[in-house]
Amino acid sequence: MFRILAPFFIVLLFAPWARSEETKTPPEEKKTKATSPSEGSADRQRIRYVLEGIELRGNVRTAGRVILRYVKFRAGDLLDVANPEVELTRYRLLGTGFFSRVDLSLRKGSRRGAAVLVVEVVERNTLIVENLTAGVAADEDRVGNARPISPFLGLQLAETNLAGTGITLGAGVAIAADQYALSTRFVDPSFVGTGWSAAATLYYSDGRDFFGNRDVLFEAPAIPQREVTDYAVVAYRRFGATVGTGHDLGIATSFTLNYHFEQINATVPAAASHIRGNSREPILFSIQPGKSVLSELHGTFTYDTRDAPFLTARGTLAQASVTLSIPGSDYAYQSIEGRWRHWFPLPRRHVLRLEGFVGAIAGDAPFFRRFYVGDFTDFLPDRLLDLAPDRRQPPNFLNTDIIEVRYGDVAAKIEAEYRIPLYVGRESVYGVDLFGSFGFYSVATRREFTQPASGYRGFQRVPIDLTGNLGLRIDTKLGGVTLAFSNLIGLISSRNGERK
Amino acid sequence: MKKLGALHYFLFLVLLMWPEALRAEPPKTPSALPSRNAEVSLDGKHVLFGVSFRDIVDAEISKKLASGLPTVIVLRAWLFRDGGSDPVAMTAKTCKIVYDLWDEVYKLQITQPGGQTDSVAVNQEGVLRQCAEAKKLRLAERSELDSNTRFFVAALVEINPLSQETLDRIKRWVTRPNGSAPASKGDSLFGSFVGLFVTRINDADRKLSFRTQSFFPPNPMAEKK
Repeated sequence: MFRILAPFFIVLLFAPWARSEETKTPPEEKKTKATSPSEGSADRQRIRYVLEGIELRGNVRTAGRVILRYVKFRAGDLLDVANPEVELTRYRLLGTGFFSRVDLSLRKGSRRGAAVLVVEVVERNTLIVENLTAGVAADEDRVGNARPISPFLGLQLAETNLAGTGITLGAGVAIAADQYALSTRFVDPSFVGTGWSAAATLYYSDGRDFFGNRDVLFEAPAIPQREVTDYAVVAYRRFGATVGTGHDLGIATSFTLNYHFEQINATVPAAASHIRGNSREPILFSIQPGKSVLSELHGTFTYDTRDAPFLTARGTLAQASVTLSIPGSDYAYQSIEGRWRHWFPLPRRHVLRLEGFVGAIAGDAPFFRRFYVGDFTDFLPDRLLDLAPDRRQPPNFLNTDIIEVRYGDVAAKIEAEYRIPLYVGRESVYGVDLFGSFGFYSVATRREFTQPASGYRGFQRVPIDLTGNLGLRIDTKLGGVTLAFSNLIGLISSRNGERK
Repeated sequence: MKKLGALHYFLFLVLLMWPEALRAEPPKTPSALPSRNAEVSLDGKHVLFGVSFRDIVDAEISKKLASGLPTVIVLRAWLFRDGGSDPVAMTAKTCKIVYDLWDEVYKLQITQPGGQTDSVAVNQEGVLRQCAEAKKLRLAERSELDSNTRFFVAALVEINPLSQETLDRIKRWVTRPNGSAPASKGDSLFGSFVGLFVTRINDADRKLSFRTQSFFPPNPMAEKK
């Protein structure tokens, strides 16, 4: 294709003897010297000023010190106008989300050779809906058919520039049948002007969870069962706080370190058993009855090179995290998790995403810290603020003992997703992509290794199953919307009487 | 590599040295672009073309030019056979403009086939004349063009284009949610909304695409007459 191009480019860049333009030079312009790229004309064109100060314009609500936090130059610096840091400053300020427009310019200083850097901003609304989720949780009847019972809703709001200080104050709520959770979040992205963030979260939930596979027998006089008669219900209240910090190690890498403390008050059935495999076994609730305390340290390392957070076309998101319980906690456990996602751009703007996850927990973690099967299969709703609204067991396409698992100590998942762009826009809707995903996941307790459920043989003893999804991802001016159909499919499908 | 030949090897080196050209992608439907007239001429062995694209500079860009910070105008032009969609040649012109606050002149650095030129302009009219027009820009070697085939040029002009790497870096800053943790971890819902408060970052401050009229390669004899 470029057969003609090749010799042409060689001539144009390696031929300083080539004839110059024969144009008449008007009085308002003057040519200085034709040079080859290596002769250092860039040095002659370099313009530097002594920076006399920084002038801020347009910031009505946002404190000047918050803006200056993102400007790396200071009065007295020698400012090279070609320094890429100048342009990057503009994007850093846009990246705060506080401004819809940022313009940088220079004006003359008070003496020759001096200049003032002018930062002009247009502020924007900073109260945002961070997350809104909705769906229908389901029970299942005695022949395994899904039975929608109640809608659930999750909503998170945040003011990202509280009183112009650059601090984020957020609140979240999750509501499902007979349970709810609340959280508030405070984040200062630059604590006392340093490169470290400070974060604090308060969490409260009044929840219930549903245990038991088949033929559940229990005695729980302290728990109102209402319509739920097929499960052993654990009612609990959690109240706790998290404090933490984070730091960007580079453009793509960061880490966070959090300490979490909470008190749990759980009402657990006095006795409960169910059929696991072909045998009746006691139900393990993984929570201490009455009051207990959870105290833990959590660290996460993140590597993020995605080009966009929603309709990602290329890049990697990798995270590794470790959680350690602190002495004094009623739950002594450690967990480690690793997640890797990579997006491959394909011809015609199609995108392929590959994902892998592995995690393991050692010790006695409470059930809400363990791996929940609904977080791995797309056919059940994920947890909302740690609440699991859905009571069903997972589908069992591969006919394994995955159906015996709700919370696990080890988990793994591999998944591929293919995205096809249906619409690309520049106004309110930036893009609409059709996506389809397919993968395998496994969630297992330690008992799956030491004491497998009876009645399963060979491959059936490997708690593994398929997951998949189909839907639309819509990138809009207000945020990203996902319309996924797996939940609907999950309601239709059943385990064909396995729960009988 | 041996099969590709030395010319392709040199082309590779040239593209590496000229990042803007490396990033350049010809338009997918060049013939559908809005048309404007260009001058096509011959200079010895080379076909030259000239075109004005002053309309790339609007009031906002004009303000940027006077900001004291660098502004870059990049023209990329591809030569196509009439009705074709694969370019047969490419050329480019880059103009870096900085207004000197104290000398009160625009300092220009122009890179185009033939080398790099430093220049000054005392006002924006001078900037437009030197940077928003292509004059006798080398397009292709005449010997490589079939005299009986009609050609046209498709051009893309950008103000302050960003390299893909820089664009990705910036997008990461601009789009990373500020410490937010989603209420739900996945997509297994009827619907979910994630407001990331994303600021859209374009790969250039302004873009302009056009094509020229169709033309036969200039004939050396006709040029002499």
